[in-house]
Amino acid sequence: MIRNFRFTSFLSAAKPLTSFACSSSPARHPPQFTSSASTPLRITPPKTPLFLRTPSHAAPLSEVLKWQDWAKDLASSVKNSSTKSEDSLDSILLLRELKWLTEDSITDDITRRELGGEKSVKLRASLEELYELWRERIVNRRPFQYVVGCEHWRDMVLCVEEGVLIPRPETELIVDLVEEVVRRDDWFRRGVWADLGTGSGAIAIGVGRVLGGCGRVIATDVSPVAVAVAGNNVGRYELQGMIEIREGSWFEPLKELEGKLVGLVSNPPYIPSDDIPGLQAEVGRHEPHLALDGGVDGTDSLFHLCDGASRMLTSGGFFAFETNGDKQSKMIVDYMNSDLKNIFSDVKIVSDFAGIGRFVTGFRL
Amino acid sequence: MMSSLMINRSRSRCVLLWKTHGLKITSIFSHSFADSVSASSDSTRSFKTTSSGFQSRIFSNFAFPGTNLTRQLSTEAVVPVASTCDGLTVERIIANQWPILDENESDWKSHAAAIAQSIQVIKRRLQWKKLLVRVRMLSVELNKPHLWDDPTHAGKISREHGSLTGKMKGVMTFERELLEHIDMLKLAKEENDSELESETMSALMEMRRVSKEKELEALLSAENDHCSCYIEVQAGAGGTESNDWALMVMDMYKSWAQRRKFSVTVVDEMPGEMAGIKRATIKVNGEYAYGYAKAEVGVHRLVRISPFDSGKRRHTSFAAVAVIPILGDGSTRVQINDSDLRIERFRSGGAGGQHANTTDSAVRIIHIPTGITATCQNERSQHMNKASAMAVLQSRLDQLEMARQTAMNAQHTQSLTEISWGNQIRTYVLHPYRMVKDLRTNYEVSDPDSVLEGDLDGFILSFLSSSLDKGDDEH
Ligand SMILES: C[S@@+](CC[C@H](N)C(=O)[O-])C[C@H]1O[C@@H](n2cnc3c(N)ncnc32)[C@H](O)[C@@H]1O
Repeated sequence: MIRNFRFTSFLSAAKPLTSFACSSSPARHPPQFTSSASTPLRITPPKTPLFLRTPSHAAPLSEVLKWQDWAKDLASSVKNSSTKSEDSLDSILLLRELKWLTEDSITDDITRRELGGEKSVKLRASLEELYELWRERIVNRRPFQYVVGCEHWRDMVLCVEEGVLIPRPETELIVDLVEEVVRRDDWFRRGVWADLGTGSGAIAIGVGRVLGGCGRVIATDVSPVAVAVAGNNVGRYELQGMIEIREGSWFEPLKELEGKLVGLVSNPPYIPSDDIPGLQAEVGRHEPHLALDGGVDGTDSLFHLCDGASRMLTSGGFFAFETNGDKQSKMIVDYMNSDLKNIFSDVKIVSDFAGIGRFVTGFRL
Repeated sequence: MMSSLMINRSRSRCVLLWKTHGLKITSIFSHSFADSVSASSDSTRSFKTTSSGFQSRIFSNFAFPGTNLTRQLSTEAVVPVASTCDGLTVERIIANQWPILDENESDWKSHAAAIAQSIQVIKRRLQWKKLLVRVRMLSVELNKPHLWDDPTHAGKISREHGSLTGKMKGVMTFERELLEHIDMLKLAKEENDSELESETMSALMEMRRVSKEKELEALLSAENDHCSCYIEVQAGAGGTESNDWALMVMDMYKSWAQRRKFSVTVVDEMPGEMAGIKRATIKVNGEYAYGYAKAEVGVHRLVRISPFDSGKRRHTSFAAVAVIPILGDGSTRVQINDSDLRIERFRSGGAGGQHANTTDSAVRIIHIPTGITATCQNERSQHMNKASAMAVLQSRLDQLEMARQTAMNAQHTQSLTEISWGNQIRTYVLHPYRMVKDLRTNYEVSDPDSVLEGDLDGFILSFLSSSLDKGDDEH
């Protein structure tokens, strides 16, 4: 009994540790972690997002509406109090988030039309928890995706939690780029792909679905939380047979595949270290710095990936990397065209929907 | 399904009649046969079979060229009008203006009036008078001695004749059935046969349900009527006042759609600064959503004491409504080249990527050659927003192409940008009196609240049936 109890309390104490353990400043050289597969760092299983929980709670409709009104008021109040800076909440977006939070946590339709205040409403979280979650969202600036435990990304719903980067909308395009290449040439469909620094597994699962059951994807991450969450997401899309998650630093867990990959994709940490303290609260205070901090000018991991790509890709293989934008993309292209001359072809910059040169793509000669 | 219902019913009725009324049956049937289409003995026989339940098969036989039956029938010159024993006809029923009560009220006059009304709409949709003329012309043609010397031509004539007589007979059988039910009911009353009476009453009720269905089918038989659609609402000038009205109009459509059991998703919504919406697009999914909703295209005007005006003055606000059909996979859709598209993040700015955490992934797609744009911001991923905006764009381009091809300047194909603010279709007055009036049909309701809560079908159906008349006049 006592052991059990201590173990539990150790768990809850350890949770913030896992989230922030990796926020140390990054190495100046390509970060190399040794594979930690042997040490079970990960203690807690992945959390269940709100929308997947069983609706085991109930509350009278009037109480639920009261919560909703309170949440709306709280969302609307931010408009006036916040400055116009980039790092501020927007009440219109918050109201939409509230709608989604409601959708994720309440099974019944609670449109006011059918008022009957004492009607019991089934909930996936207790009303107290809902109050707490919304307070965290607004007061603590906890990202909405951590609040509900999932992020809608492409046509998927991925589980996310503290310790794993919330996949960004821009990154969806990497899967489009892969889809284009695969559509042009079936050869890509049958080979082995790698997604390095897979985080929630977003890109790996997206690519896996594009390959449509023929090829294989190996996804790596050095963060045990990411490995667990990605594994869980892969399972949710029933791609265990096709996507393999390996814990370890960049190419390290892929040694046997040297020169064999037909595709390599990655969204590595690329924010310059000096920018980290000034990040938007949701990002800087809540997302793992290990997933964000890219070293002095943000390119540490990117250059490491370029070097690796030359070794790991087979002739004709494709790569796509996400970068911090125009400047970093140019640096990568220049590097590939000079230091790695005659190794790659068709190296080019692809813009995201905001017009920022977000991706570098090319082929191994 | 329709015909099988009728068959079952007439069969059971015959049996019943035979059992309960013995010989009387002859008099009733002979009466209705006297009224029926053809004078020739051949087709009288065919109608006897009809009454025992084989009408649909017989009708489809009319399409066969050269059969005796066709020849015989094509000699008919005048179409006789069906009536009851005491001379009641469908036209008389309508002229009597019996009040139409709820379906559950056991009042035969109400049922009869409702059915007659549906028959009238169906006839208008068929352009009845012209149909009869055409059938007569085709009959003359079919009787020409050397018709079959040119088999292609003959086949064409014969097929058209077959199809038109089929439609004609369908309606006439329906009329006759109504009148037979009425006869039967009177008979049952005379004979104090309560069993027969209730049986006939439920047959009438069933017929009323079927005729309503047929009427709707007739009203909603234009090319894309069966499609789902987008409904777009845009606030007129006047800021908060109009924005609030636009929101009320949008809510009205959401509730209307809900009542009709259509599913609704908000695709795009641009909120007003203080209240309401500047503009919004919803997707309405369901059979015939477009056919109904297209009746709403145009400008809606509101007169009320403004809740935003501290001086409590009367305000007039406007909202424009456009409706776009979502063509099915079967129809030809405009081919969109990827290279003609520019896709933009809706509210971009800032470094993006790993720097930013936002739940806002709205995109705008611009079709460069036409300048047409579409936006979606209500999905939870950028990918889905893009897909949804693409679908809107596709439908907008399809509609543009439809309008171009048919050069039809039909009002319901107008996009929001084309709708002139002068084109008012309906006025909603909340003050100094209360009323909603459609300026196209003069259909009027004195309870604006019910309308704003989505009770729109009266307006929609009266507009749709008035458009049928217009079609009849034009040709
Ligand atoms: C920007 S996140 C991208 C996550 C995910 N691919 C996505 O796009 O949402 C970068 C990821 O790289 C991982 N990472 C950081 N250093 C790494 C290393 N040395 N080896 C492997 N992965 C690493 C982080 O744990 C994080 O999951």
